[in-house]
Amino acid sequence: MPERIGSRLLGVVGHPVTVALLVAFGLGAVVIALTGGDPLAAFGEMLGGGFTGSGLRNTLSRTIPIVGMALAFSLAFRSGVLNLGGEGQMLMGALFGTMAAIVVPGPGPLVVVVAVLVGAAVGAAWALLPALGQTVFQVPLLITSLLLNYVARATTSYLVRYPFGEPGAAFASTVAVPESNRIPDFQFLGGGISISLFFVLGLVALLAVVYRRSVFGYETAMLGHSGPFARYGGVDVERKTLVVMAFAGAIGGLVGSHLVLGETYRYIDADMIAQTGFAWTGLMVSLLAYNRPVPILFAGLFFAGLQIGGFAMERSTKVSWQLAEVIQALVIVAVVSRLAVTWRRRRRLGEETGPPQPEMEAAHVGEV
Amino acid sequence: MTTELELRGITKRFPGVLACDGIDLTARRGEIHCLVGENGAGKTTLMSILYGLFPPDEGEMLVRGRPVRFNSPLDAIRLGLGMVHQAFKLFPSLTVAENVIFREEPAKLGWIDRKGAVARVRELADAYGLAVDPTAKVEDLPVGVLQRVEILKALYRDASILILDEPTAVLTPQERDRLFDVMRRLRDSGRTILFITHKLAEVMAVADRITVLRNGRAVAELDPAATTPEEISRHMTGRDVEPVRAGPSPSLGDVVLSVDALTVAGVHGLPSVSEVSFDVRSGEIVGIAAVAGNGQTELVEAIAGLREATAGTVTLRGVDITHLDVAARRRAGMCYVPEDRHRVGTAAAASVSENLLMGYQRTDTMKRGAWLRRGAVHTHAHRLREDYAIRVSGIDVAAGTLSGGNLQKVALAREMTHEAPLIIAEQPTRGVDIGAIEFIHTRLVAARDRGAAILLVSAELSEIQSLATRILVMFEGRIVAELDPDVADEAEIGLHMTGGRVAGA
Repeated sequence: MPERIGSRLLGVVGHPVTVALLVAFGLGAVVIALTGGDPLAAFGEMLGGGFTGSGLRNTLSRTIPIVGMALAFSLAFRSGVLNLGGEGQMLMGALFGTMAAIVVPGPGPLVVVVAVLVGAAVGAAWALLPALGQTVFQVPLLITSLLLNYVARATTSYLVRYPFGEPGAAFASTVAVPESNRIPDFQFLGGGISISLFFVLGLVALLAVVYRRSVFGYETAMLGHSGPFARYGGVDVERKTLVVMAFAGAIGGLVGSHLVLGETYRYIDADMIAQTGFAWTGLMVSLLAYNRPVPILFAGLFFAGLQIGGFAMERSTKVSWQLAEVIQALVIVAVVSRLAVTWRRRRRLGEETGPPQPEMEAAHVGEV
Repeated sequence: MTTELELRGITKRFPGVLACDGIDLTARRGEIHCLVGENGAGKTTLMSILYGLFPPDEGEMLVRGRPVRFNSPLDAIRLGLGMVHQAFKLFPSLTVAENVIFREEPAKLGWIDRKGAVARVRELADAYGLAVDPTAKVEDLPVGVLQRVEILKALYRDASILILDEPTAVLTPQERDRLFDVMRRLRDSGRTILFITHKLAEVMAVADRITVLRNGRAVAELDPAATTPEEISRHMTGRDVEPVRAGPSPSLGDVVLSVDALTVAGVHGLPSVSEVSFDVRSGEIVGIAAVAGNGQTELVEAIAGLREATAGTVTLRGVDITHLDVAARRRAGMCYVPEDRHRVGTAAAASVSENLLMGYQRTDTMKRGAWLRRGAVHTHAHRLREDYAIRVSGIDVAAGTLSGGNLQKVALAREMTHEAPLIIAEQPTRGVDIGAIEFIHTRLVAARDRGAAILLVSAELSEIQSLATRILVMFEGRIVAELDPDVADEAEIGLHMTGGRVAGA
């Protein structure tokens, strides 16, 4: 059936994501050429550096927080809740998870479990603040969740400088987490990768099934499609908002705990503030993957590879690694503008905006 | 008479659908030209092409004898076309006057002349008997009033060709007659009116000429003086259609729904529903007749649990449900076909199957523990699609791609299959074609005959008259009359709907 393969191929080539990637790399090539570089060599280094050898190992390590934060974002966003507070939830979870790993006595593995659960709980609590603000006081969550990031930054900076800080340290940080209370690595390509990777893979699988197969997944998806429709069908909109925010915050807290217990082993203020970029990369990954877990995994792997490959590219071709970030951003801009074009076209057909148009034969492609 | 507008061989294809198939249409200056046809017949596509929303694949359009090509509605508006859309295209946060003057703002020294605008809009509203406060914010206005604003917008632009896409759906008979007077006045001043409607009585009342569309083709051009509603309906459907008569209720059973002194807050501190009391018994259809904006929407929402009641009680089968949430009310034995099927009754981006599941997702047939029974969900969707003849290529297709009538069948199929003791049907046939109306009415009567208590809210008096066992008339948030549909005629009901005063007098 050559036609079917042909049309599937056309579908892949014409897919907004493919188009976005081509546009992004095309524009990136123009930028490199304009600054006197060789685009093909640069891209070769970028892909080689990100997806082979130790580069692949680093990419996999970086996939953990990116995919984690993307899942946290997707969970809320597909339910129509725009949680921009990922970085705050991650920071709060990280600091309290770390403190738990430092102060809780007991056998190592048990302490790790308790510590990441504390991180998850604190992340969830932090996420519930804007959620409660919206459900109880009708303060838009979009704004409050974003602004609470600054509160979280200031709060964690203060705590790690004073009550939780290591006395006499050169920079603001906690003491190191005892070796027994760290998340272990497994060996891969001549180095260690945190076993958190498996938990992220598990979370991808779990959410993929929950989104598609569970009552919760159904009700939250309908809420994301239309609030009034979900409410009319008996979905408790306020409660669902609180629940998805709590879960999103919990995932953020888990990611934060991993970043310390599995990577740096002490909460270093400046370091963690830099890590907040993962929340925003995660947001982009989720957008690119239309909030679907399995595509999120691949998109997250791709973005992680771009970032790691960007460093390799800079080392060998003198093209700045920030180009990787530029390409990331271009991919998103291209995807979003493609969506906007589709939306505008649909709007011109009259099937969108406001109270939607009744009987619009134009759009009835689904009818027979 | 001279030809104002001519369409020749207009053809428009969409993936998998031939929406317009070589349609010819000629409208003369100073004529009311009715365009009738079932949903999916191509009316809206044809009007969208005419209004410049998208170009035809084939065919040409002539305005006053000159071939035209519209790249956007702005081109169409420049050549004197005006359209009153079926769905409202208004800015919710602006006032009526601001919406009406948008893009045509009266200016004074470079500033918008707001006073002048309000005065001009009020003048227009008074001249055509459209009761609208120009200074009211659009978001505070109920659906029926929004339609009047849309009509005012077109009138303000003084269009020479006016397209009215089912403008009468939310009007009382008196208001409708007044609109017809407006239309006739516009016609007599030399304008051309393209009037899209499903209602044959309206066609017979105002049309100077009738074009019938079916399956994308213009199948007949008729002279109203030389045709009958039956003939038009035959052209529309390709078969004979009998209006559904409910017939007598088999037997009245127990009280299912009891509403006692129910009061619901409204905007501006006035209650939208004041101390309304009534019962609905098993085996009867109670019709609520009201002009849009007289509290019937709020009353239904308060009964369904979507709006807080400020006083009074709602009892369902002996259980006080006044303060229960929607899910608990549904469990107590209620189903509800809402007025706004696009925003509330369905979710456009969700699949037909997902739309058909809503409200059942927590029943034991559809779930096991936290998980949906996928097989049961699919079987359910396939069965409803078949039972209700929902025309769709598959149950995984997004509901937003369905036409109005088919979408309503999705909402209706889902709600009716609950076999709930209480069915609330709000404007169940608005914007739906004759075939689907017949179908929906048959289903409602069948539900009544099996002993359901039905609360029917409709702006369509003929619907209430033919189906209801009793008619309650609401005006300004109160029930002002209880009438027997076999005794009361349209004029009497209409009189009560407007507060007992003769409209336009």
